[in-house]
Amino acid sequence: MRIKSYGLGILACIALTLLIAPLRAAIDLSNVALFYVLLVVVMAVWSGRGPAAVTALLASLAFAYVFVPPAFSLAITQAQHLITASIMLGVALLVGHLTSRLKRHVEHAELREQHSRALYLLASQLTAARTRADVLGISEHFLATLFRVDDLRILAPGAAEALPEPLTPAGLADIVASRNLAILAVPSRGRTLTAVPLRVSKGLQGVLVFALDDATTLTAQVRELLETMASVVAVALERIHYADLARATGVRMASESLRNTILSALSHDLRTPLTALVGMADTVAEGRTAHPGDQQAMIVAIRDQALTINRLVSNLLEMARLQSGEITLNKAWQPVEEVVGASLQQMRLQLAQHPVKVEIMPALPPLEFDAVLMERALCNLLENAAKYSPPESEITLSATQAGNWLEISVCDRGPGLPTAEQAELFGLFRRGQRESNIPGVGLGLAIVRNIVEAHGGSVDATDRSGGGACFSLRLPLGEPPHVAELEVPA
Amino acid sequence: MSEDVRILVVEDDRNIRQFVASALESEGYHVAAAGSLRQAGVELGARSPDLVMLDLGLPDGDGIPFIRDFRGWSAVPILVLSARSLETDKVAALDAGADDYLSKPFGVSELLARVRALLRRRGHGSEQEPPLIRFGDFEIDCVNRAVRRRGEVLHLTQIEYRLLLCLATHPGRVMTHRQLLAQVWGAQAVESHQYLRVYVGHLRQKIETDPTRPRHILTETGVGYRFQP
Repeated sequence: MRIKSYGLGILACIALTLLIAPLRAAIDLSNVALFYVLLVVVMAVWSGRGPAAVTALLASLAFAYVFVPPAFSLAITQAQHLITASIMLGVALLVGHLTSRLKRHVEHAELREQHSRALYLLASQLTAARTRADVLGISEHFLATLFRVDDLRILAPGAAEALPEPLTPAGLADIVASRNLAILAVPSRGRTLTAVPLRVSKGLQGVLVFALDDATTLTAQVRELLETMASVVAVALERIHYADLARATGVRMASESLRNTILSALSHDLRTPLTALVGMADTVAEGRTAHPGDQQAMIVAIRDQALTINRLVSNLLEMARLQSGEITLNKAWQPVEEVVGASLQQMRLQLAQHPVKVEIMPALPPLEFDAVLMERALCNLLENAAKYSPPESEITLSATQAGNWLEISVCDRGPGLPTAEQAELFGLFRRGQRESNIPGVGLGLAIVRNIVEAHGGSVDATDRSGGGACFSLRLPLGEPPHVAELEVPA
Repeated sequence: MSEDVRILVVEDDRNIRQFVASALESEGYHVAAAGSLRQAGVELGARSPDLVMLDLGLPDGDGIPFIRDFRGWSAVPILVLSARSLETDKVAALDAGADDYLSKPFGVSELLARVRALLRRRGHGSEQEPPLIRFGDFEIDCVNRAVRRRGEVLHLTQIEYRLLLCLATHPGRVMTHRQLLAQVWGAQAVESHQYLRVYVGHLRQKIETDPTRPRHILTETGVGYRFQP
């Protein structure tokens, strides 16, 4: 680039000389000098100070050799001609110098403008950033407008692992302590690693590091730009940090209020049956029953009450397990009939007073699900149907295929859905009626929803034509693996 | 018959131990009780019981290694009483060598039914299969390898026959998926649960009046199947 512009200066000088040499007789000597000065100005604008100076020296040599008499000799016989040549050289050098300085100023200003535009864009993009990954992406985009960067990352101030070559934990600690931009040579690949500390009012948000092929691009202006960029990025990171902190506090408060709801629900729904239990046990123990048959009935009631508490505790445990987020689905391909049959078997006591109609579409494909959890979900729906519908009313359990979904519905002839928002029915501690003598804390449907959603499905509740409610769950049908008949020869 | 049957109850909760013991004694069984694994070891040596009821979480250790050790030298049936609700725990106990389990809380009638089922097996003596097994309207003729419903021969494939036989020779007891797969298909198939589900489905189609509400082959979800005569 540089050498090319020097060569261009020399060529232009020769060309100009050849162009005006034939007109030597016609043009005045001082005008010829002006032609050369003009050429030097053009070169200064075009290629900067160095090429302009070389062109000026060459031009004065050419002027002296070709135009100043005696022609084709460097000898200058008249003092006047010597003055002309000297002034020409002086003017050419001075104008070249001034012009190139002006040009540098213009370039500098343009670069500054370009940088501040990029910084403005960076700052406005960063205000929309919500995660550290966003910040990293935006920074990368910004740096890419300057030069080709590689392996950009933001290191935590105390990071000890996965440091880019040749950074060591001690080296990082030094950069963190100095709080200044550092440039390290990467020995193996002939590149440089640039580390820019992200300073905030209190300490560091991290260190931005990236690899660079050509270290010469890191001019003083670029470094200055990097420092400015670092402070903008640091502020964005700090903002995200505080936003995360605020969000975590929000989550903690939400889980706190959930815990309070659980506690108040428990204190009511667990204490009531326990009170009955203690009272009935006392009555029997102290022989206070009026009629002989009462004692037997009371003992049966104690048993039922205890089982109710057991179901409540099981539901709470299940909910805690589902909400802890640590649940792993033990999925397997299996026929739906099996889990339907198992649920009905499991619920046979609760369903004793209701005829149950089972409608399973013939030839349903097998489905991939966790049998234990799905049985739980179906049992909860069946238990609800039994609890909320009058004795002897029919409960229908149906399974049908609808497109790529399998829909299982439990429908009853109870009072139908409460007028409340239907989606809320599946929320935690939601009950159709707030105060009711039907036992339960409103965990059943929330568990159903958790289980079904963990399987990629959805739940729905609708009023049934002719009275009653339908609770449905939809599960995605997958591509069942082919099961070869594993028949062994006789 | 009940008079000479001795049952060892290993359970650390005094109330549970007491009600289990009195329920069993009311049926005429002789009951010995232990509150820890150490005590259980002593009682096993002293009484040589016909059935062991074992709680899995005892103060001096886990029940599963105990079952494995015990199985090393004795074929006496073990009924696990478990407060653990996870199916994997039940399967672990059964695969370690337990014969059946009862989840807490359980009722007395349920408890006695399980005990009877386990002792019935003992009544047959060794592993010798009876020549003729009857359940519902069905009859399995083990000599001629045939299954009849009210005298009419039912067509079953080899696998279906072996599966039914395996279930029917353990009436009232839960069989884990692994146990059934190992006995019907062989040890190499113990992880192929899908085959088992497919064949149980086939078998239900043939012997259950309503396959979605089976009376004989009951599903113990996450654990295995239980045959009910």
